[in-house]
Parts: sequence; structure tokens; C-alpha cells
Amino acid sequence: MKVTDVFRDANANLWRSKLRSILTILAIFVGSFTIILNSAINAGVNDFIDKQIENMGGEGYLEMMPTETYDQLAALMGNGGVQEYTEDKDVSNASPYIKDEQVERARALEGMKSFHALPSATADFATSDKTDKRYRINLNAIVPGINIDMSAGVAPDTSDDAPYEIALTEDMAKALGYENPADSVGQTIKIAVPSNLKCYTVTRRSECQVIVEAKIAGTQAPGILAMGGSRANIALWNRINEINFEGMPEGANHTFQAVADVEPDKIDEIKTKLEEIGLSAMSVDDEVGMIRVFFDAILIVFNIFGGIALVAASIGIINTLFMAVQERTREIGLDKALGMSNGKVFLSFSAEAIMLGFWGSVFGIAASIIAGNAANILAHETFLKDFPTFQLTVFEPLTMISIALIIMFIAFLAGTLPARRASKKNPIDALRYE
Amino acid sequence: MKNSLLQTKDLKKVYGKRDTVFEALKNVNIDIESGESVAIIGKSGSGKSTLMHLLALLDQPSKGDIYLNGQNTSKLKNRKLNRLRNKEFGFVFQSFFMNANDTVLNNVILPLKIAGIGRRERKRRAMEALKVVELDDKFKNKAKDLSGGQKQRVCIARAIVNNPKVIFADEPTGNLDSATGEKIENLLFDLNRDKGITLIIVTHDEELAAKCKRQIRIADGAVVADEKTKKGAR
Repeated sequence: MKVTDVFRDANANLWRSKLRSILTILAIFVGSFTIILNSAINAGVNDFIDKQIENMGGEGYLEMMPTETYDQLAALMGNGGVQEYTEDKDVSNASPYIKDEQVERARALEGMKSFHALPSATADFATSDKTDKRYRINLNAIVPGINIDMSAGVAPDTSDDAPYEIALTEDMAKALGYENPADSVGQTIKIAVPSNLKCYTVTRRSECQVIVEAKIAGTQAPGILAMGGSRANIALWNRINEINFEGMPEGANHTFQAVADVEPDKIDEIKTKLEEIGLSAMSVDDEVGMIRVFFDAILIVFNIFGGIALVAASIGIINTLFMAVQERTREIGLDKALGMSNGKVFLSFSAEAIMLGFWGSVFGIAASIIAGNAANILAHETFLKDFPTFQLTVFEPLTMISIALIIMFIAFLAGTLPARRASKKNPIDALRYE
Repeated sequence: MKNSLLQTKDLKKVYGKRDTVFEALKNVNIDIESGESVAIIGKSGSGKSTLMHLLALLDQPSKGDIYLNGQNTSKLKNRKLNRLRNKEFGFVFQSFFMNANDTVLNNVILPLKIAGIGRRERKRRAMEALKVVELDDKFKNKAKDLSGGQKQRVCIARAIVNNPKVIFADEPTGNLDSATGEKIENLLFDLNRDKGITLIIVTHDEELAAKCKRQIRIADGAVVADEKTKKGAR
């Protein structure tokens, strides 16, 4: 007997007791639906996190602050506990800063691709030709090694001697009078930067502000990163710092944070070494990874549910097929009398089990795609409004096919018991059976 | 012996163990030639069905050997036995044994499907077989919608579809009225005469048995008579 005939007959046999087969398929469907939808959500979340990590400079991106700052923040958040005061920490409760010696040691670490110590830089507001209004501006630096997901234009030039450039958030571009993010590309905005020392001596703030012009390189796609505000390139950042500290003694211009691009496979090692130097480093994974852990935990629970459903479904398969074997005793006897081998009888019942698994998986895939897409649309209208690029569910054909194959294999395993009984039937007894 | 198709040597079949042991067949020696029509006659429990099962290679003897075309079948592997039954034998049973919900055509096709023959070829051959039993116009009908006589004709079509050398018929007319039964008998004897298919009929019906060229009587698991009728006639 040809294998194609075996499977065609197996499928036809399923519909001889429709209700029974449909109920069994339904049980498999519950399991496959749960597991496939779970895997789609898992893929969606991981895809999103990976994209965010990629946006933020990939797996090798580290943000650093002095360990004292980190401890202070921890203490403020109530996590630090009571800390002993030690004389040798030369900066006590004042803002700790990164010292040159630390920068040098950090730069020398193995696996360090680039290291940028960032001085502080603050601006008061930004405005443009398109508007009379002035808007507070949150600035962040963009350094080599960090990638930005741009919705329009290109990422700013990060070389030290580049022209002053900025990547705005879409909201900021809109506020500054550019209806469409693309309209803002190449335009110039004005940034008001305070000269802090002078600001102590003047009565009106505007008297101590220096206007710096910067070219809009582009706008950032909304995402976790864009929450960090608009991003100035190094040249603009350094210029703002220079204005901020104009007239102050050299020693006052401290570095409070640093960013680095390191080799991803050495990241843990480097983090430990930075800790020894006195710098607390956070990778993107540390920051965004929390979401991953959270989702992973939920998905494990749901996958366990799916697994339990499949175990129950397997028992259903065993039961259904035992009934089928019993019902078709004479048929099996006839098949054997007419020369069908034990192996083919075994295969024909196994094929029925596999077909049950197949239909359960097919309906599971179809339903989970429908449900997943519906959930996606719903999510984007509600809690994912600000993340248009985040697909809650991502259906990967390869994953779905492998899940279907695994389910069919489980069905096959469940079917081996009844199939074995069928194959062991003696044709004479089977033909005598009424 | 050169024409011998099926031959048994000291065939024994024992059921049960020790205290409950039951000898269904005791030292049966028969020799059936190709092209014969043989009736195996006996009361129920005489061992005639057991003998047929053994001759049809559906069961293994407890002792003794069966030779098919001079070849000792006890030495054959299961695969080979399955292929022999499929290729060389056709079966007709008292209670038909059809898949009632399937079509007439699919019932006839079954041996060819088991043999692994392609779809087009097996349909062609099944239609040919249905033509022999004059049911080719009913090939699309469900088997359960047929009358008893028609069902048995479909079974005969199924038995001959693979061009067998032997047809084993177990009380082929047992479930039919005499008129229909006669039609079935004629069909079987025509096949025996025209196509040279060896016919082995298991029955307790003396009338049917008398129509065969040879009668083998079984009682209590032993051959009590083996005679040929209508000597010279065919």
C-alpha cells in the first residue's frame, strides 16, 4: 500500500465518526492555539526588544555613571540601605564625577571599542523660524556606536569636528512647526544655552543665554529611545557645555556620565572591571531586559497550560483511536487477509493520529493568526499607541511549522498504542468478530 | 504432482493448552491441483474452516507443512505470505465483509490498493472485474445500498480483481436465498471453467458441494472422504 493512500484513507476515516474526531481535534486545537499564540507574542516582544537594543547601539552599548552616584540613586530610591561614611571618598555627598584617571583606565580595558566621557550640557529652550513659541528642550548626546532609528532624515554626524546637528523627537519637530517629520530635515533651529556663571549676575535670564544654531539631521522614530529626548551630536554637545561653563575654573567642568561601545561577548567581563574602576555600567539589555524577563515568565506559564492541554488531547487521541480500532476490527481482519502487512495496519492508524494532530495544528495556526492580528490592532489603539513599530505578535512560518510538526509527532506517539493493538490483531479472529 | 497447487503434509492444528487442548485438525494430507473445483464439506466444528484458513495462509499450522506450487510456505516470511495472499488468492465470505459506507468501486479496489497499484490502473482493473459480475453500472453506489446477491457479486469482483490463482469461498451462498445463491454459484463455476481459477468452497450445503468436481469431507478434524464426481466431465 502506498503511503499517500494510507494518509488519504486515514483522513477519510476520520470523518466516519465526525463528532468524535472533531472533539479530539478541538482538544488538540486548544493546545496548539495556546502554544502558537504564545510563540508569536514571544517573537513579537523579543523582536521589539532586539530592535530597541539595536537602536540604542546594539548589544555592546554601555552607559556609565560613577558608582557613588549609582549608590546615591539607590539610597534615594530606598534600596541602598545605610552606607558608612569614609574619609577617602574625596567627594562626599556632592555630585560625584568621573575622574580622568578612571577614563584612562576604562579606555584601556580589553574589548573596549570606543569610550566617550560626556561633560554635562543643558539648554533652556529651542525655537525655529516656523514658530514664535519657545519650547523647553531635553537634550541627550549621540556618540559613535549608538544607532538611532530615524523616521526621517539621517542620524547626526558623530565626529568631533562635525557641524552642529540634532535629531529631534517627532513631537518636538511638530511643535517647532514642521507638520511632517520629513519637512524638518535640513532645517535649522535655534537653541538657547545658558552661560551659568553669567546667569548669577544678570536680572533677566535672556541676558545670559547664547543662541546656538543647529541643523536638524532628522527625526527619531518613536520608541523607548525617543523618550530620552532630542539628541545632539558631539560637536553640538561640546559647544553647549563650553557655553554652560564659560568663565568657570577648569576644575568645575566635570564629567558625570560616559557611554561606551564594547565587544558584546565581553560585556559582562567589562562591566565587572568597570565596577572595580568605580564606574557602574548598564547595558541596554539591563534596562530593557526587565520587560523580557517579565514576558518570559508569563509565557512560560501559558506554555505550561498549552502543554497540559496537549497531554489531555493526547489521551483523547488514544481514546478515539482505541474506539476506532474496536469498531473496525473486521475491516482490519479483511485488510490483513487481503495481504496488508502489520506495519501498514500500524501505519494506517498512526496516520489517523497524525492527521488529528495535523488538523488541530492547522486550525490552531489559523485561529492564532486571526486572534494575534486582532490583538495587535486592539493593542495599537490602546496601550501600544506610542509604539507603532511594536508588533505584539509576530508569526514566523518556520516556528509555526515546527510547532505543528511537534504536535503531529506527539499525536503520533499517542496513536502508537491503539495502532499497535490494531496491528497485532489476528485476521481470523478479526473476521470472526461480530 | 507436477500440477499440484496446494498440498498439505500431516497438517495439524491444536488450540488451547494442556487440559483444554483441542485438536482442530489431525494429520490432514490433501493435494489440490490447479484448476480444480473443490468443496470442503463438514458440519460446524468439524475443522473445515480451520483447514481453509490454513490453506489460505491466514493461519499457521501447529504441525505439518503446506506447499504452494511446491514451495513450503512455513519457511516464508510474513511479507512474502502477505504478498502471496494478495496476488494469488481471492476471498469470498458468507457475510461479505465489505466496507458498507464505501462505494462499490472502492470495495473492489481494496486488494489493488493494498498491492500499491496506482489510482488509474486500479480503477481500470476494478471496472473490468465489476463488468464480469455485471455490476459496472453500480460502481458509484454505496455498498450498503446493494441487495445481498449484489453484495456477494461485488465480493466476487473484489476476489478476482487481482487475477488470483485460487478463490477461497467460505459458505458463499449461506446468506442468500436459493435463486440468488444459484446465480452466485454459477458465477463462481464460470470463473473456474473460463479462467481456470482454482475454486475452494467451504460449505455444509450438499447441493453446492455436488456441483464441485471434488468433495473433501471433514469430520472431527480428519479427512473422512475425498472423492471426485462427474469423472471425465469438466
